[in-house]
Amino acid sequence: MQLNDSPQAAAAQPLSGCRVLERSRTVAAAYAGRLLAAMGARVVMLEPPGGSPLRHAAPLLDDTGESALFAYLSVGKRSLVCDPASPAARAVLERELDRADILIDDTPVNARAAQGLDPETVGSRFPQLVHVSVLPFGSTGPKAGWDGEEVNMVHAGGEGFLLPNGLSNELFPDRAPLKIYGHFGGYQAGCTAALCALSAWWAVPQGGGQYVDVSVQDAVLSVGAFALQRLGDGSLEHRKSRRFRYGGVFEAQDGFIELLTLEDRQWSSLVDLLEQPAWAQDEALRDPLERSRRGDEINGHVREWMARHQVEDIVRRAQELGVPAAKYRTPAEVMHGEHERERGLFAPATLESGQQAEVLVAPFQFRCTPLEGGGRVPPLDEMAQEAAR
Amino acid sequence: MNTNSPLAGVRIADFTIHAAGPYCTHLLSQLGAECIKIESRTRPDAFRKPHAVYGRMQAATFDQVSANKLSVRLNLKQPEAIVLAKRLVAVSDIAAESFRAGVMKRLGLGFDDLRAAKPDIVMLSLSSCGQNGPDSHFAGYAPLFGAWGGLGWMSGYSDGPPMEMRHVMDHSAGVHAALATMAALHQRRRTGQAQHVDLAAREVASAMIGDALLMASLGATPVRPGNADLAMAPHGVYATSQPDRWLTLAVRNDAEWHALARVLGQGGTDPRFATAQGRLRHREELDQLLTQWLAACNADETAERLQQAGVCAHVSWNMQDIASDRHLRERGAVTEVSAPDIPTRLAVGAPARFARTNDVGIRRLTPALGQDEDYVFGELLGLDSAQRADLQTREVIL
Repeated sequence: MQLNDSPQAAAAQPLSGCRVLERSRTVAAAYAGRLLAAMGARVVMLEPPGGSPLRHAAPLLDDTGESALFAYLSVGKRSLVCDPASPAARAVLERELDRADILIDDTPVNARAAQGLDPETVGSRFPQLVHVSVLPFGSTGPKAGWDGEEVNMVHAGGEGFLLPNGLSNELFPDRAPLKIYGHFGGYQAGCTAALCALSAWWAVPQGGGQYVDVSVQDAVLSVGAFALQRLGDGSLEHRKSRRFRYGGVFEAQDGFIELLTLEDRQWSSLVDLLEQPAWAQDEALRDPLERSRRGDEINGHVREWMARHQVEDIVRRAQELGVPAAKYRTPAEVMHGEHERERGLFAPATLESGQQAEVLVAPFQFRCTPLEGGGRVPPLDEMAQEAAR
Repeated sequence: MNTNSPLAGVRIADFTIHAAGPYCTHLLSQLGAECIKIESRTRPDAFRKPHAVYGRMQAATFDQVSANKLSVRLNLKQPEAIVLAKRLVAVSDIAAESFRAGVMKRLGLGFDDLRAAKPDIVMLSLSSCGQNGPDSHFAGYAPLFGAWGGLGWMSGYSDGPPMEMRHVMDHSAGVHAALATMAALHQRRRTGQAQHVDLAAREVASAMIGDALLMASLGATPVRPGNADLAMAPHGVYATSQPDRWLTLAVRNDAEWHALARVLGQGGTDPRFATAQGRLRHREELDQLLTQWLAACNADETAERLQQAGVCAHVSWNMQDIASDRHLRERGAVTEVSAPDIPTRLAVGAPARFARTNDVGIRRLTPALGQDEDYVFGELLGLDSAQRADLQTREVIL
């Protein structure tokens, strides 16, 4: 088991030696720190006296009441209580900032000065520090004071309005648009914050530290950039019209499948997969535009065929034929997936209660120096308690 | 070179195609890296080609992943082109690719080949399923990443099918790949060693449900929550007086609940809704009440007033709303781009605002195929015009 602070374990990691201070109330800031910790950075969470609100964030584990979200986001980090609003703790903050290469902070703009965390103060005291702010609407601009949870942000960034498309929208055309599960927008912003932190850190030898302003809204828009480009092409996307003309989500006998053929050769393979049905022999369907026009008709036939077959059979045969198709897998199927197991996607983690769980290491691998992964969820203020012993 | 960019001086040999890989290098190029995109006339990036699946025969989306990049042509089916590609890698810091696992190796451009050409190369391989494992040969697009990774299953209406993830899944893979590539670059700075970054897009989808996966490891069965939240009520997306103009709301505590009722002109509230637990327990009745309250409300004006009162609210914005927004414009998140023969249009700009190295964002638009060969083949690789003409004649440069 890797210790969160073990120098031996961390020495060969991509970010060995990188010191990060994290103040996080939100998933975005916590995920930024989590990604850096996964790559070997030493990440210290500065928590308020009662602990980060994320320690109580849903979903909670039934038996212990621990937050599964917090466990996922904090494994491998260290915890130190520090309330910068109190003068006594300010010295702790200064000491930790002095030791850090990167500060990730999501303190609301209007609360920063009172805590000594405004960019001007931090920048003048610690000129080599990379100070990354990540807030729902960023720290500058007319809406910097606005607040938002995930459901607000995924819609403020444009993707929410476009969801769901395809089958869900066909089945429930009058329902409200949907958010993506969990904290998708927060994760994009957290990853962007970590990327920008490492980019600014790259420039420190040339120009010193600096302040970087990341926003969840910007990050959601950024990953949805194609829709803005479509607007420039004269097309305002809508969830009702943003569907693939054929393909999409299909219900098989025992589960759901995603099927998507974009290229001509994939269409021919799809016809093979469907066992060369008579309707698909229509010469006109050789033309991709004609297939587009008759997408509903094609999907009707595909649905009828899918409903008669088993997911595993369809997916295996489809991949053999070169038809892009995948099962909609449950979390348990992902957790126990043969592919994931072989790739070492998960590692053991010790929760605060002592319970052993498995946690996703990171969504990337470093093949020359594999990531350690796992670790433990840090008890509140463990660093101070260790120092006192 | 963009000397006032954080990644000034970093060079990328970019073999990526489609969306996810190119978006990764697009981000790095916005941050100041010099990105040389390698294609050929016979095998251009698919995003230069039309996609009839959208119901029209036009190239739609290339600009948003290819701005800033330099373009050269190399016919990678020719051994001499492979030699040139390796020479290009030898003068680069990063080599990025997004083919199916094994393709680069078959071309003679696998990690070991590139490391022989450049001993401290950072290679990024971005694929749907990664470089090893039983599914590594699977081809896929963004919606399949979401399906494989579990994010699609966990998203959707609670009583409906799983939800199809779209381009955002490609771009999520791209931003995670850019982060890992930067970490490898720091590792190289510290150790002088090469690194091979392996990103599987389906695993990025899994990272978006990390909490649910942790629960599954303990034997729990996480359920699809739709727009509901396990801790907040009201929480969701609500109709307003205007058709298809939805208001998103998230009420985190009693104070925000009272503020919401006050802003909506609702005085004495139902005791069932007095506490967070009560509101969660009576979530459906609460949503019905909110729907009544909001039925006569203007979405935009209500969002504004709720924010002033400290309640998390925002209209479900379409792209026209985003295009018109002053906040996003001021931040440079939405920017106008133009070129001599292209009318001004909007694009998504800088991923963040940097206080010092602030030359971040789109500097020029999508390159024409092969437009930067004087610089890349001439200056960087030292090929003279006769050599280049010969290579073109023999379709090495094609």
